[in-house]
Amino acid sequence: MNMDLETAGMLRDSASRYAADNYGFLQRHAVLTDPAGYSAKAWRDYAELGWLALRLPEAHGGLDADPLAVGALMEVVGSRLLMEPILASALIATGLLRSQGSAAQQAAWLPQLADGSVKLAFADAEPAGSSPCQVRAGRISGRKIAVLHGDIADRLIVSAADADHGGERRLFLVDARSDELEALRYRLVDGRGAANLHFAGVPAERLDPEDGTPAQAAVADVLDHATVASCAEALGIVRALVATTCEYLKIRKQFGRAIGTNQALQHRAVDMFLLQEEIAALTRAAQAALLLPVAERARIVSGAKAYVCTAARKVANEAVQMHGGLGITEELDVSHYFRRLMVNAALFGSRDEHFARFLAATTHSTPEGIPA
Amino acid sequence: MTDPLDEARDKARRLRADIRSFHERVMPDDLKRKSHLHQVLGKDDYVRWMRLLNDQGWAIGHWPKEHGGQGWSLLERFTFEDELARLGCPWVIPFGVKYVGPVIYAFGSEAQKRRFLPRIATTEDFWAQGYSEPGAGSDLAALRTEAIRGEANEGDHYVVNGQKVWTTYAQWADWLFCLVKTARGEQAQKSISFVLIDMKSPGVTVKPIPTMDGYVHVNEVWLENVRVPAENLVGAEGEGWTYAKYLLKNERTAGALLGMACHALERLKALARENPSASPERTAGRIGELELRLLALEVASYQAVESMMRGTDHGGEASLIKLRGTELYQDIAEAAIDLLGLAGVAWDPAALHAASAPPLGPEDAGGIVKDHFYNRAATIFGGASEIQRNIVAKGVLGL
Repeated sequence: MNMDLETAGMLRDSASRYAADNYGFLQRHAVLTDPAGYSAKAWRDYAELGWLALRLPEAHGGLDADPLAVGALMEVVGSRLLMEPILASALIATGLLRSQGSAAQQAAWLPQLADGSVKLAFADAEPAGSSPCQVRAGRISGRKIAVLHGDIADRLIVSAADADHGGERRLFLVDARSDELEALRYRLVDGRGAANLHFAGVPAERLDPEDGTPAQAAVADVLDHATVASCAEALGIVRALVATTCEYLKIRKQFGRAIGTNQALQHRAVDMFLLQEEIAALTRAAQAALLLPVAERARIVSGAKAYVCTAARKVANEAVQMHGGLGITEELDVSHYFRRLMVNAALFGSRDEHFARFLAATTHSTPEGIPA
Repeated sequence: MTDPLDEARDKARRLRADIRSFHERVMPDDLKRKSHLHQVLGKDDYVRWMRLLNDQGWAIGHWPKEHGGQGWSLLERFTFEDELARLGCPWVIPFGVKYVGPVIYAFGSEAQKRRFLPRIATTEDFWAQGYSEPGAGSDLAALRTEAIRGEANEGDHYVVNGQKVWTTYAQWADWLFCLVKTARGEQAQKSISFVLIDMKSPGVTVKPIPTMDGYVHVNEVWLENVRVPAENLVGAEGEGWTYAKYLLKNERTAGALLGMACHALERLKALARENPSASPERTAGRIGELELRLLALEVASYQAVESMMRGTDHGGEASLIKLRGTELYQDIAEAAIDLLGLAGVAWDPAALHAASAPPLGPEDAGGIVKDHFYNRAATIFGGASEIQRNIVAKGVLGL
C-alpha cells in the first residue's frame, strides 16, 4: 500500500508555485467577481500543467495518480481557494468515466477532459419528494439539485433509472446545452457555481462499462475519493487559516502589546494547530484507505470526513474570532476560507451521514482495521 | 411578605402581553414577513419600525418620565427586548434611543436636550456610534481621533481629524456620537471627550465595509478637518470616558440575545421536523443540549436583572448574559446550517431582498445563512468575548 511520495512532492511544489504566482487573493478576487465564476485562462494552465490528466490512465496519457498525489494538489486548491472545477471534472467525472465508460467512450471523452476542452459535472442529488430521474427511449426526465459547477459544465454525467433496461440505476452522458434542459444557475456561499437542473426528455448516452461494474458501486467509489480529496482541500484551508491567524496575533497590538502575548490566545492558537495536525493525520490515513476495497475503507474514510468537518469548523470559527471584525469582512481571506469549508462540509454527504457510516463500520471492525 | 420587585414583575408581565398583542394586531404584515424570513431591512423599514415602537411609547420607554419616557425598570427594559426578539421582530436600533439619548439627557446642555431628544424619540435623526478605530478596538482608550479647539475668531469650534471603523449604519446616519481626544499627552481616559458630529459636515467620508453575508452593515468613517461647533460637546472636556461608561452601564442587559436565541431555537426545532436527518437521535440530542443551555441563560438572565435592581449583583452578570447569549445563538445557527444541508450553502443574495426565492430549501434559508454569517461577529462587537472574560476574571474573581 505504498504511495508515490515523489510524485506527490513534485506536484505539491509546482502547484504551490503556480498558485502563488497566478492565484493570489486579488487575482482570485477578479475570478470571483467575474460573471463566469471561473478563469478560462487558469483552466487552460491546469491542462498544460497536467492537473486535468491526473486521474487519467497512463494508456490515455494520464498520470494515473494515487490519492496522495491527488491530495497534494487538493491542498493547494484549498490554500488558494481555486474556483475552477478540478474536483468536479478532473476527479469525479473523470473517475466515473474511467469506471463506467466503454473503451470507445473513454477514447472519445478522456482526451478532451485532459486538455480542458470539455468540463464535466456530476448530477446526482435529487430534490426530496420529486419522482426519480429516469431514462426512457434514450431520453432523460427528472430533476437534479446542487450540481457543483453545473452552471459552467459542457456536459453532465447524470445518474438515473434506466427504464429501457429493467430500471437499473445507471450513468448517462448529457449535453448541458440541450434545449430540453432547464437550469437554475446560482452561486454557492463560497462563490463557486452550481445549478438545479430540470431534464425534460434530454437525449442521454448510457455509459457502458466493459467489465460490467454496477454504476452504484462506481459512484460509491468515486464519492469516497471525492470525500478524501475534500479532506485534503480542507487541510490546505486549515493550514492557511492557522498561519494567517498566528501572523495576526503577532502584529495586532492592543493594550500596548501584541495580542499574541496573551497566554489565553496562545493556548487557543495551539489548539488550532493541534486540530490542523489531526486533520493532516486523518487525511493521510484516509488516502491510504482508498487503496482498500470499498467495504473495508468506509470506517476511516467516513471517520475522516466527520472529524475533519468538525475540526475545520472550529479552526475557522477561531480564525474569525481572533481577527476581530476583520474576520467577517470580504476584504480578508479568512471569511473566504470560512465559506469554502462550509460548502465542503455539505458536499458528498453531511457530517452526520458520514458519522453514522463510521459508527456502523466501527461496530463491526477490530482495531486492526486501521490502515498503517 | 411582599417583595419590592412584585410591582416591577407585574408591569413586565403586562408589557409582555401588550407586545404580543402589538405583534399580532399592529405590526404590518410586510414588515413582519421580512423580519420573520430574516431578509435585509432597509433604512425605511427601520425608521418605520422605530416609529411604530415610539407610537406605543416603547422606543424610549426606558427614559425617565421627565424626558418623555415611561421610566421603565430594568426588568421592563429587559423584558421589552426579550419579547420582541422572541417574536422574531427586527432589533431595536440602539444608537439613538438607547445609547446617545440617555447620555444627552444625563449630561447634555438644556439646548442639546431640546434640540436632539425629541428627534431621537421619533427617529427623525438616525444616529451612528463613532467609537472603534483601526488601532482601538478592544483597547478603546487607545483611540487617536483628535479634536483641536479652533481659532476663537472663527467661532467656537473643534477641528476633528481621524478615522472610525465598524460604524454600523453610518451610510444612513444623520449624526455621529463620537469619542475624540481633546488633549495630548495626558492619561488616556482624561483626554477623551464626547462630541456630536453632523454627518453632512464637510470632511466626513463614509466607506462601506462589505461583510461575508453579502451586505453592508458597517463602515469606515473618515474625519478630515471636520468643523464641529463647540456647542456639540456633551458635558465637559475630558469626561467622555465617564459618559461612555455610563452608556455601557445602561446597556448591561442585552435582552435581545436571549430572545433571539429563543426564536432561533424554535425555528431549529421546526427545521428538524421538516428535514429528516441522517441521525435523528444525534439531532435530538443536539437540540436538547441547546434547549438546556437556553434554559440556563433564561433563568440566569432574569435573576441577574433582579439582582441588579436589588443592588446585590456581583458585576459579572452583564458579561455572563453576553458571553452565553452570543455563544448559544451562534451554536443554534450552526445547527440550523447543518440541518439545511445543501440548502445551507446555496446562496442567492437577491433572496435576502425578497427579489427571488432561495435556490434550495425553505423560504427563509437565505436569511438563516445570512444570520449565521453576520452573527459570527456577535462574540466580537460590543465588547469581545475575550474582554468579557477579562472583566469577570478581574472584577468578580479578583484575578
